[in-house]
Amino acid sequence: MSGPSGDKLIYVDMTDQSVSVKDFPDEWKLLGGRALSAKILLAECDPSCDPLGPDNVLVMAPGVLSGTAAPTSGRISIGGKSPLTGGIKEANTGGQPGQHLMKLNVRGIVVKGQPADANARFALEVTADDAKIVAADDHKGKWNYALCMDLHEQYPKTSSFITCGPAGEMRLTGASVATTDQDNRYPARHAARGGLGAVMGSKGLKYVMVDPGKSGVRQPADRKPFGELCKTYTKDYLDGPQMFKTGTSSVVPVANMLHTFPYKNRVEGQSPDAQTLDGARIVESFETRGGEMHNCMTGCIVKCSNVVHDAQGEYKTSALEFETLTLLGANCAVASWEDVADMDRLCDEVGLDTIETGAAIAILMDAGQLEWGDAAAMKKLIAEIPEGTDRGKAIGNGAVATGKFTGHHRVPTGKGQAIPAWDPRPLKATGVSYCTSPMGADHTAGLIVNPGLQPDQFAWESQKVQIVNAVCDSSGFCQFLQPNLDNIRGFYGALYGEEVTREQIHDQGWQCLEDEWEFNRQAGFTAADDRLADCLMQDAIGAEGMKQVFDVPAEIIQAVYKRMPAQDDLFEAKASG
Amino acid sequence: MPKVIIPPPYRGPTQGTGEVEVEGTTVLECLEAVDHKYPGFLAQILDGDGAVHRYVKLFQNGDVLDAGAALRTVLEPRDELEVLAAIAGG
Repeated sequence: MSGPSGDKLIYVDMTDQSVSVKDFPDEWKLLGGRALSAKILLAECDPSCDPLGPDNVLVMAPGVLSGTAAPTSGRISIGGKSPLTGGIKEANTGGQPGQHLMKLNVRGIVVKGQPADANARFALEVTADDAKIVAADDHKGKWNYALCMDLHEQYPKTSSFITCGPAGEMRLTGASVATTDQDNRYPARHAARGGLGAVMGSKGLKYVMVDPGKSGVRQPADRKPFGELCKTYTKDYLDGPQMFKTGTSSVVPVANMLHTFPYKNRVEGQSPDAQTLDGARIVESFETRGGEMHNCMTGCIVKCSNVVHDAQGEYKTSALEFETLTLLGANCAVASWEDVADMDRLCDEVGLDTIETGAAIAILMDAGQLEWGDAAAMKKLIAEIPEGTDRGKAIGNGAVATGKFTGHHRVPTGKGQAIPAWDPRPLKATGVSYCTSPMGADHTAGLIVNPGLQPDQFAWESQKVQIVNAVCDSSGFCQFLQPNLDNIRGFYGALYGEEVTREQIHDQGWQCLEDEWEFNRQAGFTAADDRLADCLMQDAIGAEGMKQVFDVPAEIIQAVYKRMPAQDDLFEAKASG
Repeated sequence: MPKVIIPPPYRGPTQGTGEVEVEGTTVLECLEAVDHKYPGFLAQILDGDGAVHRYVKLFQNGDVLDAGAALRTVLEPRDELEVLAAIAGG
């Protein structure tokens, strides 16, 4: 075999805090990130297990290209059985740990078991020489930023971190896993969806420290063609429109126009506050307050992350994304992006998914237990979550838990997970993805922003984007780089010095989905679960005279599960999430 | 006739149609011709003052058009006018 060699998997048993290192199977060399996580979980995790019990398995897996010179390729997948959906879950994030682990030839960390003492905290330290569990009781309960400030003092400057905030320690099912970014090493990047922070917390694992030391980038089979590919791809990207150079938050006006900028717990698809929540306001603030667009990981050419400063010019948060502005902003009738920035920082501190948290608070408001648009009360509420109040725990456990807490009927979810900003009523093909994706209602698994699609196109468009995104999320590439399957197989081929065919890359994406669907079948999911909440099928949104509900017939939804023949558009479709 | 290429987010009014050949000699005339065939299309591209929305980018044969002068740009019969929109979650 040519290309990177000496790869390994780190196995951690939290029951006795032991660590072992295994060789990474050669036949898995093109498995990374999401696909690797799915392969390990299907083989080594009982799908019927309690997601917060000792039998769940937490996987941390960088992409195949992470640690190489390929642009924007350092994403890391966090996987496990989701305590929110009850099915398999993968959430990926940027920052530095993915790059650092791969520079150490670590293709994945597999965490099993659970300490006998639920109050004990541990950390995993990974360096070029060793991987070991150490006590971390001193860091128990720390908010993410304070934790990372202390860790920066404790460890070499070359290190990066994967951390669990207090919400994860409390096993709240809306909890995220944080990673540190490259500039200031803040814990501002989050594998947010599905409550995987609670799985990390249930294992008593407060953080993972990765120090690559002086390890260099991973070397391809043949440096020249790989280098040429990196150079050409980068040039083409930078010569192109660079649609994300002002961040995802700049999508607000388009989403509002398309009636997919939900307002007041999704009873409307447009917000009267789109102007003040538009990410353009954030970019405008750079001139007077400082802040900038930056790259969250080394080697990123997209630079979609906005660094947001407050009125005094001090760092507030990064990145303030479209989804956060929608769920914690418009959906709760909050009009100010600055208020949303405060809440984004709070969620990053506590370790919470901003989508799930925003959706949960909107349900609380819709139930009459909080005033619409009361940002001050929202901030207080998020800050009280670590205190363990009943209301705080309901919000921290997400939309369904808050629906039960309030007794409210309107709970916009799919498979137990809050619907993201992209609404399945105007975007019905995206709704088909929410119904069929092994990830549940997760836009990163299969976003299709095409309101003109006809029903007979929904199944193929959904299957296509689910395959493309599964491959992208296994490669380490960021979806915002928008690679297609031909791009990804080109990089794989140059990395290992052997051609990867269209058929192989199609197979890989499909197999990832099959592994995940099989896990969910064994967890008890059936076709009856492939539906969205009643409110999305009953409450119409859209322009006057053109209001829509989600009404895609079951036979179209179920058609996604049957592999369709590949056409050229499969290989040319860009990742989209 | 110039061809107008419409990105997926703006295909609601066109009922999924992604390419339209239209009569027109300027960018504005071509966009108006699309709107004539598919009412509601132009409102997605232009703001209330008739200027191109900040978040819309127009390309002539692959070259980005300056936002201020884009609508007056002359198109040749074999030109392609592509509309682009940034769409992502995050």
